[in-house]
Amino acid sequence: MLSRAPAAPFTRLAPFADAQFSLETRTAALQRFFELRSGRERPSRYWRVDLDAVGVDDLELDPAGGSVEIACSDARVRVGAAPPSLGMSAASQTKYGALALAFANRYAFVSVPSGIDVEEPIVVTYRARESTLFPYTSIHVERGARAMIIERIDGGAHAFVCGITEIVTGEGSEARLATLQVLDDDSRFFSTRAALPGKDASIEILTADLGAELVVGEIDVRLLAQGADAQIVSLFFPSDRQHVDLRSTVDHRVGGARSQTIVRSAANERGQGRYVGNIRIAEHAQKSDASLRDDALLLSPSAHIDSVPALEIGANDVKAYHGATVGALDGEMLFYMTTRGIDREQAERMVTLGFFEPAVERYPAQLREEIRERLAARAQ
Amino acid sequence: MSAEVGLSISGLRCQVDRKEILKSIDLTVEPGRVHALMGPNGSGKTTLALALVGHPHYAVTAGSATLDGQSLLTLSPDKRAKAGLFLSFQYPAAIPGVKVANFLFAARQAVKPGGDVTPAKFRALLVERMEALGMDASFLGRYLNDGFSGGEKKRLEMLQMAVLAPRYAILDETDSGLDIDALRHIGETIAALRSSDEGRATGLLVITHYPRILRYIKPDVVHVMLDGRIVKTGNVELANRIEREGYEVVRAESGAVA
Repeated sequence: MLSRAPAAPFTRLAPFADAQFSLETRTAALQRFFELRSGRERPSRYWRVDLDAVGVDDLELDPAGGSVEIACSDARVRVGAAPPSLGMSAASQTKYGALALAFANRYAFVSVPSGIDVEEPIVVTYRARESTLFPYTSIHVERGARAMIIERIDGGAHAFVCGITEIVTGEGSEARLATLQVLDDDSRFFSTRAALPGKDASIEILTADLGAELVVGEIDVRLLAQGADAQIVSLFFPSDRQHVDLRSTVDHRVGGARSQTIVRSAANERGQGRYVGNIRIAEHAQKSDASLRDDALLLSPSAHIDSVPALEIGANDVKAYHGATVGALDGEMLFYMTTRGIDREQAERMVTLGFFEPAVERYPAQLREEIRERLAARAQ
Repeated sequence: MSAEVGLSISGLRCQVDRKEILKSIDLTVEPGRVHALMGPNGSGKTTLALALVGHPHYAVTAGSATLDGQSLLTLSPDKRAKAGLFLSFQYPAAIPGVKVANFLFAARQAVKPGGDVTPAKFRALLVERMEALGMDASFLGRYLNDGFSGGEKKRLEMLQMAVLAPRYAILDETDSGLDIDALRHIGETIAALRSSDEGRATGLLVITHYPRILRYIKPDVVHVMLDGRIVKTGNVELANRIEREGYEVVRAESGAVA
């Protein structure tokens, strides 16, 4: 294994070692990245990007790259760059999660104490510049607490951004994490989001990737506590020559938990997308309730989206549903709108935005207008 | 009035999937007048309506259609609407994610551009028109026709007509599937439109196969269509006769193949 890892990147780790992650932790993570890298499946015939070719050798690694700001109006919430106390390493077990941990250089730690209800969203903003940014967000919502966290990733001229977001919640809590990625169009973005909800806790993970030329995203939800309810809503819209590769996995390890995954995507011009949706229900996880719905819209003959839903169901007394559609705009809808004087282009834009709207409405009010505007810009 | 005024259809032939459905239609709806177009299922009434608004599957092979002198057939559907033509669909499309209020505002801006209608003012107008139609204001936040009942769809078609105030409106079986209250609301909305400044000159072509709706919208002229042709034209007495005797009598009189 060691022979696969080029030596050079390891020598560049030292400047990153800090109070959060030691050089040993980082070295082990980078080692894991190179091990996992060899395991990626080959690109499909539509897929023009060889993800294995995305290396670290050519990166201008900058420990001072990018910035983070955390805004929280509730003094009871602990926020800042305190050391991670969560000990949850699920996110760093994925390929790009491992890379993110190896070079992590901007942190946001949010801890919501038990029983409190945080009214205003806690906003974490990462801003990329040129070169690299490796954000690490760690969120803990304790027992019975309620909070919404907005994570925004923007900026970045030719930037390489690779980050981790972890969220762990306590019994009976309610947490929402809404991520909006709007990096400049020549940037690359790799993200790993992992969630571990507590007993009878509800967790909502919303992701919108509306920037960057290459997006590789992983959402990983583990249901280890009974009565947990996880909702994932993701949307993406590659246009021009962008690529989005999103994978979500909901792992029902105990019975009596619920999950719902909703993905909406569209591709325009030469945009390419791939969504892989996994639902796993363990053998003993009876009374699990899982659903996965993935709808994709193709707006140009050269656009392409692969949709790969996969259910692995080990238990026999469960509710599991999955459905996927990939299609073009509906001619009868467009015709109807044009008979009301709306021209064809506007009708196409409205139907496209309408396609996303049920997902957009799930987002916090603060993000909705921006999401709609950015979707509209891509629907042109 | 010049001869050019009116929604004027002349020698119109239309094919669907290469099958001729309309076999030379001649019909002129004058401003402010109500024409009823009656006929049994399959006689070509809806084909005429969809051909006039420019459905891409309906190929006009001969004849002309003009709106106050402007030829319609070379125009795209949106331009026909901007010229002042409106169709109340028998089966309007559902468009998930597009809210009724946003759709109506976009449509109004498209057909009546340059108006001073702000979204707030427009909303007030909508609410007023909706009251007349017995529609709850919550309709505005719903997705267009998505999950609507048959009656709700028809009311929304009428709301659109009231808001867009077209010069000529075709109502394709707007009465079908409606209960008596809904029918009365729709009748009142049409009456209100026709007595408003914007809608006084609106000419109506009311397509139906039951004369029931004609109690609410009194026709000036009644046409009967059979097998893609208008075989008889008369006044409201013709509609009453059809109610009593059915289409077979007209068919026999007109010599159409039974």
